[in-house]
Amino acid sequence: MLVFDRVSKYYRVGGVKKTILSDFSFAFPPDRNVGIMGKNGAGKSTMMRLMAGIEPPTLGNIFRTSRVSWPLGFSGGFNGSMTGIENIRFVSRIYGQDPARVISYVTEFAELGPSLRLPIKTYSSGMKARLAFGLSMAIDFDVYLIDEVTAVGDEDFKKKSKAVFKDKLARSQIIMISHSPSTIAQYCDCGLLLEGSRIRFFDRTDDLLLAYKELNA
Amino acid sequence: MKLVSTPELLSLQLRVIASLVLRETRATFGTSPFGYVWAIITPTVGVGLMVFLFSIIGRQPPFGSSLALFFATGVLTLQFFNQLSNKLMTVFDANRALLTYPIIKDVDTLIARAVLVAATYVVIMVVFYTALIALKLASLPAHPEHVVLAFLATFLLGLGFGTLNAVIASLWDTWTQIEKILTRPLFFVSGIFYVPSQLPPQARDLLQWNPVLHLVEWFRHGFYPNYNSMLLDVWYPVSVGAGMLLVGLAGERLFRQARY
Repeated sequence: MLVFDRVSKYYRVGGVKKTILSDFSFAFPPDRNVGIMGKNGAGKSTMMRLMAGIEPPTLGNIFRTSRVSWPLGFSGGFNGSMTGIENIRFVSRIYGQDPARVISYVTEFAELGPSLRLPIKTYSSGMKARLAFGLSMAIDFDVYLIDEVTAVGDEDFKKKSKAVFKDKLARSQIIMISHSPSTIAQYCDCGLLLEGSRIRFFDRTDDLLLAYKELNA
Repeated sequence: MKLVSTPELLSLQLRVIASLVLRETRATFGTSPFGYVWAIITPTVGVGLMVFLFSIIGRQPPFGSSLALFFATGVLTLQFFNQLSNKLMTVFDANRALLTYPIIKDVDTLIARAVLVAATYVVIMVVFYTALIALKLASLPAHPEHVVLAFLATFLLGLGFGTLNAVIASLWDTWTQIEKILTRPLFFVSGIFYVPSQLPPQARDLLQWNPVLHLVEWFRHGFYPNYNSMLLDVWYPVSVGAGMLLVGLAGERLFRQARY
């Protein structure tokens, strides 16, 4: 269960109040994959941070019973001076997973070889992204939150990511932010459109994509 | 509405804090070889050097027969308090990146850091006092239970002050500088190199407002059989510590929005 109950979120920057959500109530349908679309700055990422529980809402409540991932594809939580293995071990521990299992999964999946034993600060951004993607796939979540990233790395790795992803979708739900109509069409079966002042729910992806197109027209 | 059971939440809390303590240990001490050993050597050598300097200028111990023990009870106590306060003050900013993992909250990083500092000082104090006893520079504590209680009270006061500082510093950056200036005089007003009970009454009346002085006195009461402090009020540092912790945590909750 992931429910927004009369949620408002605003920031006050230099005396200017910026409203992201106002009095928004929504129960995310279980067993459906939800796409989130909207223009830059419409508040998609903030909404995802609220879902994940990274930030508290200004007003209202967010109820969460399912295991919700951190926004996926993200690599900022890594400690640069610690090695890949040490970072994996840390994330496994906080999520109550067996570190040995997660390490062997990520080792095989991310194909980083001996680099896993080096500090993260020596990694290229591609390597970091592979590590982050592998790590989030190694942990079983009920809901995966994906912010713009679906596949990273070269063609081979992309293929592999897609396969793992499809496999995950059989048991888990995804909530995805994307500007790409084809990605939304591929993974989602309903969606939300953020238009600044209002948020609309679409039961079918086709309608969502159509409305998104009109918004940008 | 309660969605997760209390035992589940408790085990999650313990898991997160334990992982953070391990990570913090690795991040703080893991970068240099023998990293953790340095954390113990630095303060130990610092106190040792001070004792050495004072003994070559021919200073007599202000109380008892051991200059080393007298200084250690003062300096180590103040250092433990200062370390807690300093390390906790910057904790919210330093661990910003970690909050990307939603199950880690600000207060978890605060507790983890406090636990690590406390564990380090347990090791430092055990090593230092054992060495003094082994070198016949001190005898076994006369009231060991009071040494333990004094340690816990120092932890509480440092945690309270550090939490309060962390909240203030997160709202107002300049506070980190001001805190340094405010706590600098503690070295002189906490009875580190004199016996507060031997001071004139006017000085005592003033100094007894300093909770750290009570902690130093408490440690000495634990080590010496007849320290007979005229100032020691064990409830004073405990209440000040508990009060600051309460205000600090309330402030954390109240200003949580402002930090994002």
